[in-house]
Parts: sequence; C-alpha cells; structure tokens
Amino acid sequence: MDWSTLLSLAPSILASALRTATPIALAAYSGVLAERAGVVNIAIEGMMLMAAMVGDLAMLYTGSIWVGIFAGLLAAGVLALLHGALSITFKTDQIISGTAINIFAMGVTGFAYKRFLATPELSRPSPSTLQPIEIPLLKDIPVLGDVLFRNRPIVYAMLILTFVIWYALFKTPWGLRVRAVGEHPKAADTMGINVYRTRYISVFLSGLLAGLAGLWFSLEQVGHFDMLMTNGKGFIGLAAMIFGKWNPLGALAAALIFGLPEAVQINLAMSMPNVPYQFMSMIPYILTIIVLTGVVGRAVSPAADGTPYNKG
Amino acid sequence: MPLALEARGITKRFPGVLANDKVDFQLEQGEIHALLGENGAGKTTLMNILYGLYKADEGEILVDGKPITMTDPKDAIRHGIGMVHQHFMLVPVMTVAENVMLGDETPTPRSAWMGPLSHLNVKAVEEKIRELSTRYGLAVDPTEYVQTLPVGVQQRVEIIKVLYRDARILILDEPTAVLTPQEAQDMFKIMQSLVDQGVSIIFITHKLKEVLAIADRITVMRAGRVVGSTTPAQATEAQLAAMMVGREVILEVKKGEAQPGAEILKVENLSVIDDRKHKAVRGVSFAVSAGEVLGVAGVQGNGQTELVEAITGLRKAESGHIHLGDTDLVNHAPRWVFEHGTAHVPEDRQKHGLVLSYSVRDNLTLVSYYQPPFSKGGVLEEDFIAANAAKLIKEFDIRTPSAQTAVSTLSGGNQQKVIVARELNRPVKLLVAAQPTRGLDVGSIEFIHHRIIEQRDAGCAVLLASAELDEILSLSDRVAVMYKGEILDILPIKEATRERVGLLMAGVQEQR
Amino acid sequence: MTATSKAEVREPELGRLQVLLYRLGVPLLAVITALALGALAMWASGSDPLVAYKGLLDGSFLKTRAFGETLVASTPYLLLALGVGFGFKCGLFNIGVEGQYYIGQILAVWVAINVKGLPLYVHLPLVILAGMLGGAIWAGIPGFLKVRFGAHEVITTMMLNYVSFNLCDYLVGLKGPMRDPRASVPQSRPILASAQLPRLNELPALMANPLARIVVALLVGLVLYLLFRLVTRYGFKGRLSKLNAGIVAAVSLALAAGAWLLLGNLASFGGAFVDKGSRLHIGFLIALAMSVFMWWLLYKTTFGFEIRTVGANRDAAGYAGINITRNVVMAMAISGSLAGMAGAIEIIGLDRVLKSFFSAGYGFDSIAIALLANSHPLGSIVSALLFGALRNGADLMELRSGVSKQMISVVQALILMFVAAPAVISWLYRIKAPRGEKAASVTSGWGK
Repeated sequence: MDWSTLLSLAPSILASALRTATPIALAAYSGVLAERAGVVNIAIEGMMLMAAMVGDLAMLYTGSIWVGIFAGLLAAGVLALLHGALSITFKTDQIISGTAINIFAMGVTGFAYKRFLATPELSRPSPSTLQPIEIPLLKDIPVLGDVLFRNRPIVYAMLILTFVIWYALFKTPWGLRVRAVGEHPKAADTMGINVYRTRYISVFLSGLLAGLAGLWFSLEQVGHFDMLMTNGKGFIGLAAMIFGKWNPLGALAAALIFGLPEAVQINLAMSMPNVPYQFMSMIPYILTIIVLTGVVGRAVSPAADGTPYNKG
Repeated sequence: MPLALEARGITKRFPGVLANDKVDFQLEQGEIHALLGENGAGKTTLMNILYGLYKADEGEILVDGKPITMTDPKDAIRHGIGMVHQHFMLVPVMTVAENVMLGDETPTPRSAWMGPLSHLNVKAVEEKIRELSTRYGLAVDPTEYVQTLPVGVQQRVEIIKVLYRDARILILDEPTAVLTPQEAQDMFKIMQSLVDQGVSIIFITHKLKEVLAIADRITVMRAGRVVGSTTPAQATEAQLAAMMVGREVILEVKKGEAQPGAEILKVENLSVIDDRKHKAVRGVSFAVSAGEVLGVAGVQGNGQTELVEAITGLRKAESGHIHLGDTDLVNHAPRWVFEHGTAHVPEDRQKHGLVLSYSVRDNLTLVSYYQPPFSKGGVLEEDFIAANAAKLIKEFDIRTPSAQTAVSTLSGGNQQKVIVARELNRPVKLLVAAQPTRGLDVGSIEFIHHRIIEQRDAGCAVLLASAELDEILSLSDRVAVMYKGEILDILPIKEATRERVGLLMAGVQEQR
Repeated sequence: MTATSKAEVREPELGRLQVLLYRLGVPLLAVITALALGALAMWASGSDPLVAYKGLLDGSFLKTRAFGETLVASTPYLLLALGVGFGFKCGLFNIGVEGQYYIGQILAVWVAINVKGLPLYVHLPLVILAGMLGGAIWAGIPGFLKVRFGAHEVITTMMLNYVSFNLCDYLVGLKGPMRDPRASVPQSRPILASAQLPRLNELPALMANPLARIVVALLVGLVLYLLFRLVTRYGFKGRLSKLNAGIVAAVSLALAAGAWLLLGNLASFGGAFVDKGSRLHIGFLIALAMSVFMWWLLYKTTFGFEIRTVGANRDAAGYAGINITRNVVMAMAISGSLAGMAGAIEIIGLDRVLKSFFSAGYGFDSIAIALLANSHPLGSIVSALLFGALRNGADLMELRSGVSKQMISVVQALILMFVAAPAVISWLYRIKAPRGEKAASVTSGWGK
C-alpha cells in the first residue's frame, strides 16, 4: 500500500473515527459527570443498552424517532436513579450496584427484544435512523467539511456536549459544587451544600448521557435494536474517562484514539491484510492499563470517588 | 456586654456516651472566649452543634438574644456563625478562590440569570479575598492551589472562608494544634485584629499557656459538662490544669516500689517523620529498665504516636537507634519486633489492634497464628487456638458470650482486654502500651492498670504513652513529658506532681 | 450476680442465632423476592408465570438429563464464583474472571493439542494446570499493578478481558496460528483424546484399561482419605479428631479397592454411564473438590488466615506483621487460576475445540453467585447450582411459556441487587440487621 492511497483515505478514516468515537465519548462524559460527584458508574453499558432498546421500542409504537430519543433518554435516566438509590441512599458498594444494573439491563433488553422487537411483521417508520445534517457552507471546506460538517445529530450533540460539560464543570457554581462533593464531601457539607442531592443530580445526568450513547447505536447508526449491540463500548468509555483524566476534553481525545483502530480497520481492511485487526482492537485496552500504572502521567481519580457519604 | 451567642442546656448523646450534659455557654460580643478541656471533654461536640453539623437532643441556641433553629450549616452561616474545623475542610485540588466561594458563589453580572450554570466570577472573588486579606492581615494568594500551601496558610484560607460570608461569630477548633510556635503567634495577632473589628471568637484548645495569653474569658469543660468559668487575670496555669483534669479521686493502683533491673529498651536520638512529612519526633533519647514503668505524658499530637509506632516497627525512623537488649530494632518489620520480645497495645485499637469482623478467638491469635503450637505446617491448630482462647478469656475476664463471637459486638473494655490478653500471652521483655484505657469504663481501666503493674513486677520493661495524666501518675515509676516531638524532662515519680507535669505538658520548662 | 451474668450470656447467644438466621435469611429472601418480581414482570407482559416457572423447574431438574445438564452448567459457575469470592475475601474485586477464563482455555487447548504422547492421567492434569497457570498470570498482572502502581484491579482486569477476547479471536480466526484449516468456522483443531475430560458415558470404555482403573481407584481412595481426615478433624465438634489416621487410611484403601471393582462394571449401573446423549462430565466433581479445598485453604490454614486478615482490615494485618503485597498478588493469582481452571475444564469436558470468542456472560454472573454465597466456598456450591439451574432451565421455560430466557438475567440481577443492598430486604420484610453485620464493600476509587 502506498502513501497516496492512505492520504486519499484520510478524510474517510477521520470521519469514521469521529463516528465510532461518538458513543465512547458520550459514555466517557457519563462517567465524568458521575465520578466528579464521587459516584463510580460502571453501569454505563447497561444504561446504554436500555436506552437503545427503549428508544427503538418507543419509535416503533409511536412512529416518531424523536419520541424514541426522548423515551430512550428517560429509560437510561431512570436506571441511573436506581443506581443512585442503591449507592447513595442505601450505600451499596457502587461497583456491585453497577454490576447488578448491567445484568439487569442485559436481561430486560433481551427479554423485551424477543417479546416486542424480534417480530418480523413490525413496520418501521422511514427513515428509522437520524439523518445526516449537512451544514451549509462549512460542509464545503476541504477535508474538514467532510469530517466535521456532514454528520448525524448525535455526533454533533457529542461535540457540543464536550464543551458544554467542560464549561459546566469548571466554570459554573454548579460544577464547582459537583467537584467539591466528589473531592471532599464533608467540606462541601460544612459549606451548606447538599451532598446527596448534588450526587443524585449528577448521576441522573450521567444516565442521560449514557442514554444518548446507547441511542447512537439503535437510532442513529443501525436503525433498530439488537441484543447486546453496545458491545462493551460503555466500558471503553470508562477507560476513555480515565485516559482523559476525568475531563471531557481529555475524554474526547481518548475516545478518538480508541475509535481510530476500528475506523482504520473499516477503511483499510482490504489494503492491510497482514495486520490482524484484533491487535489493533487491543490497543485502547492496553493503553488504558498503561495510563493506570502512571507511566504516562498519573491518572488521579476524584478523592471521594466510590465512597458513600455518611452525614455525621 | 451584650451576648453574641448563647447555648442553654445543650445535651447530646451518642450511642453509649453522653457527649454534652446540659451545657450552658455564653459568648459576649467582641470577646475571645476560650473553651478549655481535655480530649473527649465534649468541646468539639458542642461546637458542631452550634454550627449545625449535629442536632442537639435538648437545649436551645440564641443568636443576639433570639432563639434560632439550627438544622444544618446553612442556618449557622445565615446567622453569621463560621467555624474553622480542626481538620481543615478544604478541597486540596482547588484554588484558594474556589474554596472560598464554594457554596456562596458569585456569578458574572451578565450571566447571573443562568443561576447554577452562570459563569463564575473568579476575578471578583479574588478581589474580595485580597481585600479581606489586607484588612485582617491574612496574607494569601487567591490563585494558588490549596494542596501547595503550608498548613498555616491553609488555616488563613479557612478564616477567609468564614469572613467572606460576613461571619460575626467565629469558632476556632484547636487552631494552634497544627501550627509551629511562630505560626501560633501570627494566629493570635490575627485573632486580635478580628476582635478589634467586631468579631466574637470561640477558641477551643487544651493548651493552658495560649489561653492565658489570648483569651478574655475561659470556660472549662470536663466529661461533657461545664465545670467553671474564669478569666486569665484570676487564673493560673496550675489552677486551670486542675480544673481541666479534675480533682476527683485518682484511680488508686496498688503497687510496690519498682525494682529496676537491667536496661531493656534504649532509644537514642530517634527522629521520626509523620504522615504529613513533618518531623514528629525530634532526636529523642531515653531508656527503660526491666521492672519499671516509664510513662510518656503529653498532650495528644506531640509525637507520642509516632514514637510508639517507630519502636514497634509500624513506622520508619528517620534517624537514631532503638536497642532492645542487644538488638537494634530500628526500621525492622512489626513481626520482627514482636518476635524479639515486644508486646504492643496500639493506640487505635479498632484500626490496628483488632479485626472487628473476626471472632474473639481469631483476634486472640492475630499475631501468633503462624507459630507452633498455634499452627503446624501452615495448618491452623484449631484445638490449641480454642483452648488458648478459653484460657485467656478466663484469665483476663473477657466478657463475651463465646469465643466465636465477633469482637465488634463487645464493649470497648472487653475489646481492649482481648488485645492485652493476646499481647501478654507470650514471653515479653518490653510492653509498649499506647492510650491503653482511652474511652473505657472504670472496671476495665482498673483491670488493665493492674495487669500493667503485674507485668512490671514480673520483670518486664513497660513504656506507657498516655494523654491521661492520672493514668501516667498512678502507673509510672518515671515520667517523661513530650512536647512538640521532644522529651522536655524525665522526672522520678516522687517529683512528678500534677502541677509540674501539667506545666511541662503545656511546654513550660522550669528555669534551672 | 450469677443471675445477671447468666442473662448477659444468654442474650448474645440468641444474638448468634439471629446473626445466622440473618445471614441465611437475606439471600433466601433475595431469591424469593427476585422470583416473585420476575413472575410479576411475566404476568405484566402477558405470560403465565406458573407455566414459565414449571418449565424452568422441569428444564433444570425434573426432565430427563435435566439435572445432569444443570450440573454441567453449574461447573464453570462454581469455579468462577470460587475465584471471585477468593478475591473478595482479600478485599479485591476481580471483575475480569471471564478474561482469565478465556486465557485458561487458550493455554489448556494449546497443551491439549500440542503436547503429544502422554497418557490420559498425565496429560489431563497437565492441561488443567496449564489453564490454571494462564488464569493466574492474567489475574496476577493486575494484582502486581495494584500493589506496585496502585492501578485499580476493577479497571485493569476489565481491560485485560477485552485483550483476551481479542487474543482468542485472533488465535482461531482467519490466519490465526491455532485455527483448524479444515474447519469451516473459526475454531482450533480438536484436542487430543488424552486431554479430554471424561464424560460419565465415556468412563466404562476408559475403565477397560487396567492401569487407568488402578490410577483412578487410587485417586478415589486419596480423595476419600483427605475428605475423611477433614470430616474427622473439623466435623462433629472435633470429637473424632483423635481418630487414628491409620484407621482412616485403611478404610480409604478398602474403599479404593471397592472403587476398583466398581469402576470395571460402570456400564451395569446404567443411567448417565450409558446415556449417549448425556454431556455430564466429571468436571463437577473437580469443582466440588475445589470448593472443599478452598474452604480448607481459607479457613483452616495460616495462608487463608493472612488472606482474610488483609481483606478484613489491612491496617491490622500490617500491625500483625502480615506481608500485604505478597498476599494481594497471591490472592489475585489464585482467583485467576480458578477462573482458568473453569475455562480449561469447560473446554476439555464439553466443546473440546477452542471456538472464536463469544461472551457467555460468566463474568457478571459469577460475581452475583459469589455475593449470594457471601464469598463462602461451600455456600458457593448452593448458589452456583441455583444459577446453573436458572441458566439451564431457561430454554424450556422460553419454549413452554414464550417468556424469553433473558428474563432469567433480570431475576439474577434482582437477586444481586437485594443481596448487595440488604437494607432493601430488611426494609421490605421488616427485619432488623444484627449488630456488626455489614454489606459487602470492595470499591475504593480508581486511582488508588
């Protein structure tokens, strides 16, 4: 393979990377919001699945993709509140609670899929995916236009949310409180901040973001729900969160790196038959482990991450 | 003077403890009112109630003569009460400005309509901090990260946090506990300037000297009750020490003259660094002989903890030597130290001394499980372990339903007996006991004291570290007083009067 | 004085009973409540829960071969739950047992294919050991990274999961070095006959070999001897502990001789021994033996004492002179070796070829099983059987009632939730938790 083919493929590779990075990035933001408030959320995968399924179901029964989006978000939010109740109010171990929710979501989505979605006679509205939106003028910029401005809505939403979340976390009173609650809840408590309420809100928002990540699969990319279609992207999102040091900007960069192998594989599978794609797929996971060992800069989690708060 | 704050009949119970018993407390406007008392006297509980962190079971709180309801710190802040906690309530990874505005954020005027999502007006906050900083002489750079600041500066940030909210009543919980003498002097200047500008201060401490130097009035608490009020002009350190410690009958321990034998433990020039990387023990030297009790007296946090941890192998020594007989213990692992004839009753029994979820039986074998006859070939000898437990439960009068009961369900006294029984259940040359009776009932205290003396009479060297002066005076044959990591003096028990030791504990060294 | 001290003693005795009841009651109520909620969900979605649960029961226990299949399904569950539980006991959350399971399979299959010319009774243990080694390494790495760099084991083991899935995919996939070129689907060559874990219906033929018969009979004798020793030493409140080891040995030897006789005539016993359709293999016996062994290791040895102490109170373990680093790495490695063993046994007992990766969902299920048993190795037998039965009976349930088998995952998740948050169960049934009872807790932030 020569460089000119690679170069000619570059925009297409970058565009696919942005696409494959979208659910990873959203899952990472979901993790960032929960963990900045001190709640470990490994149930992102389950929340994604739930949103993907409920979104498809709602779309089928109402015929509206937007109702589907709304219902999917709501379902993930409810699941997040369940995680909140277990881990904030009942002070269950947060990883166990997350594990339970993951199993629960796999079961419920599989059950509902077979019961309601796997029937062939269902008629799907057309189009059943969110359609690309081309941004006038900007789309004509060479390379950049193809990569950035001919995308589908959730990709745009992800890009916008990156900055919204960054702004909210680091520039607003709300973000200041969230971070304080995740670092030193007792200190926040002595300043009159309601630790429990702050955590509940963050976890709920974390659920909405996970929901959006899940909806990317069913309503933006594929057009219907498949069992286990999120394929572990929620966990990779967690890795991107750590890689990105609990910062949405870093998480976006990490998600792009993690999305790249798949994008390269999609575009170059024909021209690079000698590199087994499985090794490309391993890169994100090995990178994450390296990051955790502190070889490439220490990844320090919020100090109170994973610790239930007991008020005096 | 009108009252800024008044507490009437405050009572607060914790499971098994009466922390505050009908406490009355009055703070006049513009005064520094020292609240004096030993650890566990109920000072911090009272202050947490005044700040809305705990809810009192009984009693009422009045601000400016009007009764108020207090459910959380927000109420306290609204009524102009601010508190600087003994353990700072600062977020280390945030800047000074962020810490100060937390919970009371200022938005930029243009974005104010966005409420919680408005843009933080960091510039305005920094400006206000600089202003407070010059007005009260609290030198702080608002843009620095808290984790990079020395403790003294962090404390100033805490005070600015309170002033930022226009507090008129300031509670300072042991503010000098973490400060160097110079920093403490600066702190007093700051307190004075605050009072000059109309702030009223409650100053919690157990350091007599500081009280006399800075307070306008003094209230002394003991065992959850107020025992009296006085002023620096009327009181001496000796009087205050007596009020603080109490003149009740000291628990008598029957003991004969010590028959000191050979030198067992010899500590030379030992220096130890604590968790915060401060030098907690500074070049300490002493020796303990067989058949005597050396008591280490001192206010909590003057290096006793680190000294004991270094001797028992739990903490690395920075320099110096620890000789146990002919062997140098310094920087050996705890197991090595145990095996060379040391018994250790640790200061924090629930953290270090016991595995709370384990049974009494397992806790009784916690340090010797790997040795025969407790185990053979890596297999636990349950028959022996059970017999051993039965023997010790009887011998040490451990009140437990059975040897299989989880130790977490026992009373503090019986938990401590489990530790003492375990530690004395092997040939011991040196017994190191840290705060061996803290928080225990009288019966258990008596029992443990009796055991310590018994051990001494059997020819064991005993190093006893305790913040309870009574305990030190009734058990020791010699008393070493630690202050700021140094041993100020070692007195034979005959010369160790309560007054003299009390003064040394407060850092007052006699002129010789 | 005597009266009061007696009362003082009796009350906490009642307390102990209460603790025991609570510890057994909460999991039981959790299971019942979860099944009830599952029934509610079935009813709400228009299916008959009674038909569904009857199908589940038939499919897991009552129908022909059902119980055997339940045992087959429970075998990996039990070993994996033992692994997860062992980690829990040391305060470690090994969420990556599924990856260790696959690495175990890879190594086991490699040895099972490439080490040739060994007799069954040498090759078979070697294959299982290879699987255990694979799992031990795969979990030992996170253990080492935890104590050396503070990398949290939940993330590292989870990441290694994906690495192992990809590795497995690569090895048997297109152009993979282990791929069987003749097969139409991506899978390895079949393992050698000498590495196949015997199914019960294969035993009669195997036992025709006199040498194999003697080896197996002696093995049976040895296992019985160890079991008798355990029972006489720890059972009957120690009353039999003085029993002469010689007598026990003699009895075991006699039983071994009996076993030798019986092994020759297995076919005449009928049942699973001649049922050609039965997949029941002797893996379940190995898993049972491992449960007993792990129980002994955890509760009867100094090593187990150290592991538990590190898990229960790391500070006190340090005070007691226990080497925390070594114990954490060992606990992870042992946890992983059990997962690797599960992988090895599953593959040499059932499929006997390595197939490309397909997640069986073992990772999460085994966490639920271990927690349901409160990480106790013997309790895990019961909870693994329960989960195996649920997994195995699900198909018939789906067939009979139309309730898809994923409903079982919902029930399992509910069980886990209720076990993990006993406060919910206590609240539902108005039970007061005895003093000193605490819910499982294993998380402590990612970075530390």
